Amino acid sequence: MAAGKRAALPLVLTASDLLDGDVVFYAGAGWARGLDEAAVAADEAQAAQFEAILAETEAKGDPVAPYLMTVRIDADGALVPGHVRERIRSRGPTIRTDLGPQARQERQHVSV
Amino acid sequence: MYRYDEFDERVVRQRVAQFREQVGRRIDGSLTEEEFLPLRLMNGLYLQLHAYMLRVAIPYGTLDSRQMRQLALIADRYDRGYGHFTTRQNIQYNWPRLRDAPDILEMLADVQMHCIQTSGNCIRNVTADHFAGVAADEVEDPRPTAELIRQWSTLHPEFSFLPRKFKIAVTGSAEDRAAVAVHDIGIRIVRNAAGEVGYRIIVGGGLGRTPMIGKTVREFLPKDELLAYLEAIMRVYNLEGRRDNKFKARVKILVHELGAEAFIARVEEEYARLDGPSLNVDPAELARIAAYFAPPAFEALPEGSAVLDQAAARDPDLARFVRVNLYPHKMPGYTAVTVSLKPIGGPPGDATSDQMRALADIAERFSLDELRVTHIQNIVLPHVKLDEVPQVWAALVEAGLASANAGLVTDIIACPGMDYCSLATARSIPIAQEIAKRFADPDRQQLVGPLGIKISGCINACGHHHVGHIGILGLDKAGIENYQITLGGDPGNEASLGERLGPGIDAEQVPDAIERIVDTYLELRHADGESFIDTVRRVGLDPFKPVLQPKEPARAAA
Ligand code: SF4
Repeated sequence: MAAGKRAALPLVLTASDLLDGDVVFYAGAGWARGLDEAAVAADEAQAAQFEAILAETEAKGDPVAPYLMTVRIDADGALVPGHVRERIRSRGPTIRTDLGPQARQERQHVSV
Repeated sequence: MYRYDEFDERVVRQRVAQFREQVGRRIDGSLTEEEFLPLRLMNGLYLQLHAYMLRVAIPYGTLDSRQMRQLALIADRYDRGYGHFTTRQNIQYNWPRLRDAPDILEMLADVQMHCIQTSGNCIRNVTADHFAGVAADEVEDPRPTAELIRQWSTLHPEFSFLPRKFKIAVTGSAEDRAAVAVHDIGIRIVRNAAGEVGYRIIVGGGLGRTPMIGKTVREFLPKDELLAYLEAIMRVYNLEGRRDNKFKARVKILVHELGAEAFIARVEEEYARLDGPSLNVDPAELARIAAYFAPPAFEALPEGSAVLDQAAARDPDLARFVRVNLYPHKMPGYTAVTVSLKPIGGPPGDATSDQMRALADIAERFSLDELRVTHIQNIVLPHVKLDEVPQVWAALVEAGLASANAGLVTDIIACPGMDYCSLATARSIPIAQEIAKRFADPDRQQLVGPLGIKISGCINACGHHHVGHIGILGLDKAGIENYQITLGGDPGNEASLGERLGPGIDAEQVPDAIERIVDTYLELRHADGESFIDTVRRVGLDPFKPVLQPKEPARAAA
């Protein structure tokens, strides 16, 4: 990400898995594949901590291309990415709902 | 079909082995992402919105059935059972895994394919007229020229780090179907007054942020001087093209900033300095390449086909397909069939692995084992006997590939847009799908006639929106997808760039706006069936401008 203004609060840290390219989210202990498992930075102190993890991740290069992303928390407490691009990225192609994280979630819903 | 020589084979295999090692070193941590990034891009592997994406080169869009089957197998084994055919006549896989990429490249090498130079600031896959070797108005098949350029430009040490990517297209026909005027270099095979065959060379066309129509820099270049002349152009560009600003680095900006005259003078100066004979290809080598593209063994057939006429008389759907998707072949009794990858409501350019296999089977049986990928994101079966069109059509129906809309309003070009592409500012595919649904009625499509809608999901213009009769560009307006509409673009002989109709509109408004544009055209067109683009050229944009205004509720007459 270009230097400059950091993403607005609240935010999460996201990247792409090195081996398979899947979208991943920093989940406190390690990285998760679902946005619902993401750790959220709600204040400046936590955001600063995330920035440090981002720098560490960049240096390590795994996962790949990390950046901070603004979310909002909807009425049910679910995380919703602020921008349409991030909403699509966190779910999968809007034209192929059988692919990407949205498909995994659907399968889970069916089996649960 | 061209077959790799030993040299090609060795280069491609070595590259696979190198990349396998590089991927291994990336995974075990001995290469950083920064070090690895250029290496993976050199092998066509991008990181996109949801996953990695692998772009496979299909030189001049030509494939045989074996290659198409392999593409299907890769889609099944390493991807999600489909692929996306692009406006560069390539195929992209949207979900490959990094660790599988070397195996995919190995499978491609098995059928003489690769991903070299599908990314980066080098000379990219050379494109050509998809009706090469078919069209009656052809001076010469463009593919031997395209193949020669492929060989010359592949891993060319001097041109591996150009200021920016570089795209070349070739056509050998009077009618330009390869959009040569909007490429970095466009090449038209022409005949001079003496009847000799040579090249008209056009430089500095392009789309993207600063769209431009290319300038002719040589009206007639003798055929055997091609490589030295291209070398001169590339040298001038390589030295003088801007490297300080990515957005000004394409050759079109150099031509524009210098002016065509001065650019030509520099090229000619460079050309005079070059040792042409050492650079130009030996005529024997040219003949060797051309032999691979010699016309296949056509049978002597009568004009027309009673079998087809009778079948079409019985089946109106077949009759429609014949009217819309067949292109006249230079050989009597043959035709070229366009297989539309634009089913109503489908993502433009996508084909499932089953469809790829069906296409391979049909090509093997009915099209002398040849397929073409078009820059309009369709597939062409170039050499089908008219007598066998009913069988081909039946097989296409079976595979869900018989949409009779080639060249019509639902034959929409759309780039992947924000559903896949990390550079996108808006989605493209859903816009194409919604427009196509509006015009699903085949009679209405035919009534409207030839009309090219082209959609890009950002200013990079992979969807060629500037040269769409109707162009649609998706932008981000304060976090909301917003679409600019242009009219009057055309990629062909009278290449022109579309003009903006007015302010951008929301996604939901686009299908209505397009319908109203089409309705306005139907009201304005001359009774002789004047085409959309001709009407726009005649009347200008003004009559269409009201379509962007929200529909007002009907007011009582004063
Ligand atoms: S035009 Fe933009 S959004 Fe579309 S494929 Fe190209 S870079 Fe991606």
